Amino acid sequence: MTARDDILNKLRSRGRVPETPPPVWQSRRRFESLAARFAESLPKVKGEVIRVESPDGALETLDTLFNDLGAQRIVANGDLPTLDWAARWPDREWHLVGQSDGDLRAFCAAADVGLSGAEAALAETGSIVVAAGPTKSRLATLLPPVHIALVPESILMPDIFTWTAARRNETPANIAIISGPSKTGDIEQVLAVGVHGPRRFIVILYGE
Amino acid sequence: MSGVTFKQFKFDAHKAIADPVLQGAVDGATRTFRTARAAALADVPDVDELRDHFKAIRSATLSRLADHLETFERQAAAAGAHVHWAQDGAAANRIVVEIARQHGAQMVVKSKSMATEETHLNKALIEAGITPVETDLGEWIIQLAGEPPSHIVGPALHKTRQQVAELFSREVGRPLDPDDIPALTAEARRVLREKFLTADIGISGANLAVAETGSIVLVTNEGNGRLVTSAPPAHIAVVGIEKICPTWDDAAVWLSLLGRSATGQPLSIYTNTITGPARAADLDGPREMHIILMDNGRSGLIGTGYEEVLQCIRCGACLNACPVYQEVGGHSYGNAYSGPIGAVLIPLLFGLESNEALPHASSLCGACLEVCPARIDLPRMLLDLRADEVDQHILSREEHLIESGIAWLLGQRRLFNFLADMGRIFQKPLVDQDRLLAVPPEFNPAGERRLPTLAERSFHDLWNNLREEDDPAAPVYGWLHLAAVVLALLFILRLLKGGKTS
Repeated sequence: MTARDDILNKLRSRGRVPETPPPVWQSRRRFESLAARFAESLPKVKGEVIRVESPDGALETLDTLFNDLGAQRIVANGDLPTLDWAARWPDREWHLVGQSDGDLRAFCAAADVGLSGAEAALAETGSIVVAAGPTKSRLATLLPPVHIALVPESILMPDIFTWTAARRNETPANIAIISGPSKTGDIEQVLAVGVHGPRRFIVILYGE
Repeated sequence: MSGVTFKQFKFDAHKAIADPVLQGAVDGATRTFRTARAAALADVPDVDELRDHFKAIRSATLSRLADHLETFERQAAAAGAHVHWAQDGAAANRIVVEIARQHGAQMVVKSKSMATEETHLNKALIEAGITPVETDLGEWIIQLAGEPPSHIVGPALHKTRQQVAELFSREVGRPLDPDDIPALTAEARRVLREKFLTADIGISGANLAVAETGSIVLVTNEGNGRLVTSAPPAHIAVVGIEKICPTWDDAAVWLSLLGRSATGQPLSIYTNTITGPARAADLDGPREMHIILMDNGRSGLIGTGYEEVLQCIRCGACLNACPVYQEVGGHSYGNAYSGPIGAVLIPLLFGLESNEALPHASSLCGACLEVCPARIDLPRMLLDLRADEVDQHILSREEHLIESGIAWLLGQRRLFNFLADMGRIFQKPLVDQDRLLAVPPEFNPAGERRLPTLAERSFHDLWNNLREEDDPAAPVYGWLHLAAVVLALLFILRLLKGGKTS
């Protein structure tokens, strides 16, 4: 008998009476403003939120951030608004995931900033949801020391319960819910940021 | 594994209690976790109802575990993952080593996993000539120190910054400043980043495994869980069969309790869900994914009084709440699991006889039940395990003899009274100024605790006097009297027994 059959037979032979699972738990969060809650939650875990009125405002914020960070090398995922990124910031080196040639992994490892959009944003916890795909790299939001996400207010939802309720049928190979910069408390419970992932996690939350 | 006998537990506990550095570290860390947990749960609407709901989900899932495992297997395979089954830890290790050999792997990176701690996978890998590198900062610290984890969530919480700096300095070959924790962390980032990018395989556990899509979910704060499952060309996940969660809606309940109960975070920083290997068109991510579903003693608990222990999600809240854990530390439990959940789980998975002391490593105060997100009744199971020890004659011969002797004596009214009277006379030279018995330590059955003296007049005596004063129902009093005496003696006996293990 294979290990599989042995384990399944053992489980079935225990004579356990099947129970009916409870009905699905519905979100009980009601926020007056999802954007306000998001902007309040993320900074509590050392994430940064910059709220702007429009997509143009978001790009202007990027101007400032790139300058302040001295960002030379930027890797950008394909879930961002359509724009000729390299033309707008011609002095900087870009890797557009799924478009640019060259070694994505090596570029991410040496990049100053990873730029992404998001599938969804959860107001309760100040989280964004990113997925893997042909133009969406996992390493782009993971290896660079700074991760900047451009998030339209339209994709905000209350919490993780509303997110799973809205889940579509197709599941990508990787979905990450990101709720702040990489951090640890493993040495004497002292908070240290940027242990493996980005040291800074900046969300530009824009209206449309 | 040697197991935890009374002698071993007593030795390790004494050592831990006598170590002021350890006591300070454990006190500080558990207090931080406790405070954060309480604040995080207070912020959730209807949190008690949510916990009841979660318990109902866990119980219903375990009642049909085989069906859910089959769904998981089918869905994971449809997403392109290879699903393996392992009856025990050794089998799980063999499967991992075999896959690593097929890849010609020299070095593997690991994200924190209690399942692979349980199977001692690192040892098996090293024996096969493969170098495992732990990437969770806490796990890396204890790997460098050559120690097992002392806490489910904070494996290195017993280590001071000085000890960490010493370990890291040795690793990088130059002295590091213990007071600059950000610099120590940056050093770990530098060393481990290179490992992530050059490892042949990434190995993880799973916080939960969602059956409806065949996904595994990894929760970390550092991001190592994402790196281990994204950077190397292949990923292996070792998953205990009880970690199954039927649907994503159920997973949302699980995740919203896990982070809050473990570290007081509404969600941990990274909730990473993996469904099969990278798709053909994806530009990064592992090209191959293996999932090992491991039993290792779990299936035998289904349908028994101990099934509830499989509802555990390894949040560590019961460790932080436990007064015994706070004194004896994680290493006294002789295993990767510790605290109240360890005291129940270790004997059930690895044998009661070899871990006889663990069901006694509790004051039965109930704090663990109070904080458990799945409301697992650990105190009940600790008592049941103690009863099993009696039924299976695991307790020592001496203890059996003494207890049967006392049981007999309690039935001999006259002899008992006589011995009590003798005791009152002979105890006189031993009574100290606090009216406690000053018994020489080697004869004291209660260890370091001091014993009370026999009262000058027994309850029996006092009661008789009362009865003489006012006596409408004397015969009933006689029985009540006997019952009261028996209860009091049973209580004293428990105190004496408890004294053996604390």
